[in-house]
Amino acid sequence: MHNKKRIWQIPWGYRESIAIVLGIVLVGFMLQATIGKFDFYLLSFPFNLYFGILSLAFIVLSVFLKRKAFFIWFTSLSFSVSLIGAITFLSIIMGLTKQVPIIDRANIFTLLGFNQMTSSWAFVLIYFLLLLSLGSTIAKRKPRLTKQYLVFILNHIGLWLILFFAGLGYSDLNRYIMYVEIGETQWRVYDKDSKVVELPIAIQLNSFTIEQYIPKLAVIDKKTGEVLPKDKPIYFQIDTNSKEEFTFNGYKIRLKNYIHNAVRSSDSSYKEVPMKASCPAALVEIRNNNKVKSHWISAGNKMQSPMFMDIDSNLALVMTPSEPKSFISNIEVYTQEGGYYKEENLRVNHPLKAGSWRIYQYGYDNNMGKMSSYSSFELVYDPWLNMVYVGIGLLALGSLLLIIFGKNYKK
Amino acid sequence: MSWDSFIWFALPSILLWVIASLLVYKTNYRLISNILFLMGISTFLLFIILFWNHINRPPFRTMGETRLWYSFFITTIGFITYRIWKYKWLLSYTTLVGSVFIIINLLKPEIHSTNLMPALQSSWFIPHVTSYILSYSMFGASTIAAIILLFKLRKDKEDKELEKLIDNLVYVGFGFLALGMLMGCMWAKAAWGNYWSWDPKETWAFLTITTYLAYIHTRIQRINIRTSLWILIIALILLCITWLGVSYLPSAQESIHVY
Ligand code: HEM
Repeated sequence: MHNKKRIWQIPWGYRESIAIVLGIVLVGFMLQATIGKFDFYLLSFPFNLYFGILSLAFIVLSVFLKRKAFFIWFTSLSFSVSLIGAITFLSIIMGLTKQVPIIDRANIFTLLGFNQMTSSWAFVLIYFLLLLSLGSTIAKRKPRLTKQYLVFILNHIGLWLILFFAGLGYSDLNRYIMYVEIGETQWRVYDKDSKVVELPIAIQLNSFTIEQYIPKLAVIDKKTGEVLPKDKPIYFQIDTNSKEEFTFNGYKIRLKNYIHNAVRSSDSSYKEVPMKASCPAALVEIRNNNKVKSHWISAGNKMQSPMFMDIDSNLALVMTPSEPKSFISNIEVYTQEGGYYKEENLRVNHPLKAGSWRIYQYGYDNNMGKMSSYSSFELVYDPWLNMVYVGIGLLALGSLLLIIFGKNYKK
Repeated sequence: MSWDSFIWFALPSILLWVIASLLVYKTNYRLISNILFLMGISTFLLFIILFWNHINRPPFRTMGETRLWYSFFITTIGFITYRIWKYKWLLSYTTLVGSVFIIINLLKPEIHSTNLMPALQSSWFIPHVTSYILSYSMFGASTIAAIILLFKLRKDKEDKELEKLIDNLVYVGFGFLALGMLMGCMWAKAAWGNYWSWDPKETWAFLTITTYLAYIHTRIQRINIRTSLWILIIALILLCITWLGVSYLPSAQESIHVY
């Protein structure tokens, strides 16, 4: 069809769209090379609000002018596909070059913004064109109660909300790491430049516990400390419910007792003591040619020394250090506006929502492990998060409909 | 019902699924095939329920338990998708993948509590991965169909039915891919406070999804179908890089998704 048409003759199709989008990417590269990267703080509140209102005004305007050649093209599939192509192209560059927070050595790639793609002008320009084009496309289409319209609207509005609120909300998003000693209340954090900042939110840490996995047993070479067999180390999971034995070089190893929170007594046996300095210990029995011996072993921790068991002159049975299963903070949260929140079970994958803040379990004193005297939290302030979630929900519904209806919208 | 009895449920399930996915190719046996497949799923589900009851906690803790759910969801969602779309190969495919997970569970039952690091202990884990497995299978099939169609077109043979099949597979695959990705976002948000952080694996997942988006949109307006089919082939290559290759890229040496 458009083979007979000369380029730039109305209506515009793929040739014009690709040319324009390429031009915009080039303009982006040139801006990047001359004035440096796009500064997202230009878009911090209230400027993102103004910008958002302007975008919406543009989209409303496009509805009134939808029969004009420009807006027919601006909401056409050829322009959309070209924009999607451009964002894919820029993402491939991003996927192939290492992304860095700070550029230390300048070269042609850093000049064009390849190492900080998401804040490069080319990326930002294409992103906002996508937002405007998608918005106008949604707005111009007449609502109908058909499967086809439902699929269209859920997917496009969902995506649009995500792009709009994640993009414009980005500069309002703040994240901090806060360290709180057990029993204390903290509201100060360090910012990126290591300056102390006082937040409008405070965390009181009531207690901090680490749950550990039940450790494993392993046989090591006493001289090198390596777990055997060298090429394929065997770890035997301690399981108090199972009578399974662990055999190594003819030695039969059996678990006789296991204490998860153990403390060593003076006679080298272990007793259950539920305190922070406790560590797992096991009583094991080794049998070989009618010789039977049993012994307590433990991986130890900062406070208790490890115990191993000689098998023979070369081999020893050891317990592996416990891996953390979950680390749990019991916290209370106060905000400047008088908000109060409480979570006894704050752990990874289970953050606490406190107004526009979300609090994540972050870390602890790795050196001290269970005996860590503090817990650290990541505090994320994201006032637009709920709108992004609305977008995610609509897009998920749209995806579900794609699965059920497919392309040809069965009658 | 403990793990020891697993084999008495697993083998009948596999047997029922295999027979069902063979019978489905015989026109007169469709109904029987459906019934047998559902019986397979029910047998398997019965084990999960009895096992759950036996261990007195939700069976989500060990690697073996995780595989139990993969087998269950793959076959169930595969069956539902087959019922909607009537692609017979889908039943064979889900039977194969479901059985592989079951056989691994029989041969190497990792029934001891695995030491999942805290970030992996999430209820998004299983649906996220299952959704991705399903979308990969759809995209794999659509690409094979695309290559067949490209050969046909070279001999000037049109095939509208095949075109429709490819489009539908891509739509269904895209739905699963997008769902998998959105669940990944929810998980990432809960685990480390970011729903999207442009980590290399995420960047590659993003550009894969936009390539499929390009396919979908070029197919709405009639442009030369060959261009679209080539986009589909490129998309699968990108998908494979995302899935398997990202860890080898120099740009990804510090990725949190590299394992
Ligand atoms: C999750 C992402 C997306 C999905 C699943 C999706 C899906 C679809 C579908 C299924 C249609 C056909 C609607 C119909 O049958 O009438 C369509 C049309 C369209 N899409 Fe998308 N799309 C997505 C993102 C985008 C983006 C990013 C753009 C770029 C601006 C875009 C622009 C368009 C346009 C211009 C149309 C034609 C609409 C019309 O003519 O009314 N879409 N899309």
